[in-house]
Amino acid sequence: MAGLQLKNVSKVYQEGDFETIALNDVTLAVEPGEFIAIIGPSGSGKSTFLSVSGALLQPSKGEVSINDVAISTLKEKELSKVRLEQIGFILQTSNLIPYLTVLDQLLIVKRMGGKVTAQAKEYALRLLADLGMTSKIKKYPNELSGGERQRVAIARSFMNDPDLILADEPTANLDTKRANEVVQLIAQEVKSRGKAAIMVTHDERMLKYCDCVYRIEDGVLSREE
Amino acid sequence: MFLALKELTYSKGRFIMISLIIILISWLVFFLAGLGNGLSDLGAATLKYAPIEYAVYEENSDFSFSKSMLSESLADDLLKEKGVTAVAPIGTASASIRQKNSDEDTASKIDVLIAGIRPGSFMEPIVTAGESLQASNPAGVIVDRSLELEGFKLGDNLTINGSTQEMEIIGFTENQSLSHQPVVFSSLEKLREYKYAAPSSDNGIKDVVNSILIQGKESEPKEIEKSIEGVQVGSKKEAINAVPGYAAENGTITLMVGFLIIISAIIIAVFFYILTSQKTQQFGVMKAIGGSNWFIIKSVVSQVFILSVISILIGILLTYATAAVLPDSMPFNLIPSLVISYSLVLLAISVISSFFSVLKIAKIDPLTALGGKE
Repeated sequence: MAGLQLKNVSKVYQEGDFETIALNDVTLAVEPGEFIAIIGPSGSGKSTFLSVSGALLQPSKGEVSINDVAISTLKEKELSKVRLEQIGFILQTSNLIPYLTVLDQLLIVKRMGGKVTAQAKEYALRLLADLGMTSKIKKYPNELSGGERQRVAIARSFMNDPDLILADEPTANLDTKRANEVVQLIAQEVKSRGKAAIMVTHDERMLKYCDCVYRIEDGVLSREE
Repeated sequence: MFLALKELTYSKGRFIMISLIIILISWLVFFLAGLGNGLSDLGAATLKYAPIEYAVYEENSDFSFSKSMLSESLADDLLKEKGVTAVAPIGTASASIRQKNSDEDTASKIDVLIAGIRPGSFMEPIVTAGESLQASNPAGVIVDRSLELEGFKLGDNLTINGSTQEMEIIGFTENQSLSHQPVVFSSLEKLREYKYAAPSSDNGIKDVVNSILIQGKESEPKEIEKSIEGVQVGSKKEAINAVPGYAAENGTITLMVGFLIIISAIIIAVFFYILTSQKTQQFGVMKAIGGSNWFIIKSVVSQVFILSVISILIGILLTYATAAVLPDSMPFNLIPSLVISYSLVLLAISVISSFFSVLKIAKIDPLTALGGKE
């Protein structure tokens, strides 16, 4: 089964004598073409959930598999390979590299894995065209608006044709119009390219674009009807 | 390399400031190295640049020209030793010289070191003006060019102060100095007539010289000491260090340059470390989207490398530009081998000091890319 599976995943942080249970026995499957949202108050375990799903953190218990590969046994080097090839991150604003042009932001992902081919460049240009950024490919991040920056981040996350897209508060710092546009674009790309996608957000206006919504509270994940 | 260059061209201002620091440091290092070498040339240039491997002295003379007396005939015996390809007997004497027929009390006198050599031997310097020593003219001498600055010219006749000996300048040469005195190359005969003028001051040694310099990489100093009685053989280095004052002087300069290099290493390391620290978030993002440690480290180290190479090259240019306007009396001699070795040291320091940043990079948690840890 492709996509993302979490089986009985727990994450416990040890701080002195205190134990914080950030994730408590979470089980979830996201299939290709499915776009789900995770909501919850701050401190509820949203970021931990995203980090564990995104191969940034290893769970304390349970198993995470991405595209049928269990990641709990992988070393840091292999994890970064998984992140590069199988996961696309859309992070909060201003997470583009300041000294690269829009096109280079996408190509750097290819460079991390080796060489940049002519096909890769073509693919990047097509992605940017899809997102309406063709006229901006030579611009630097500081010359773009917040919405445009997020579009570049979306394009970057799709660059390696990953199986899983993870979005961390992609609409933070955006006004309603731009926020709607950005999430709509994510939904559209996810559907047309058949990716499994998870968006962590506290912006309830954006939930209409998602197939289903989960709420996380004190580390416990439950489906919202 | 790609990321490194992109960032260099994007944040020009910041990198110009950093390279300015490296430029200034390398300028100072090269300049001090040049001055240091110039000073050490004054102390022992004639020996430093001599094409010799060993020097033979009288036993127990501590490799000192002034304490050692040998017979010139030993040269022939040395030539028969294994590995010895050429020999050059040498005798030295301090003297002060003045123009012939000038008044002994009022004329300006110059302290020099007279080095008696065999005309045509490998110790005879290349003349930049005039002609080389002639066996037929034992009074002819080749003198260091610094005497030209004192007003001496080709064809001038010289009188040695406090002696009746006279010499004639037939050639000028460059960078010949020993014990901070310009060297006057004369025939051995002339030197003996002056230095051993007093009866039996030569201890009864026939054709006395102070040392016999040896060429031949294969020669074996221990064997020579065994087979020829009453001699000691020193390496070129030992001979140079035995020049009075040379070792102490050189030690001071080396210490200064050494400290300068250690301090610059620290400064450069701190600069790159701060630069890396400022980019923690950025590197976190790169790691989150799949950049390996190696990818990021490569980009940082290559950036340091590019920056250092450019800065050091500019530092070298500045040093030569400064040297061009220095007064001739300032001892400055920056030889290419020094430039190359100090450049490599500076480059190595920059790159090694960037490894502290590398440690930092390896520790950056890709989680920093997310909004915040819970």
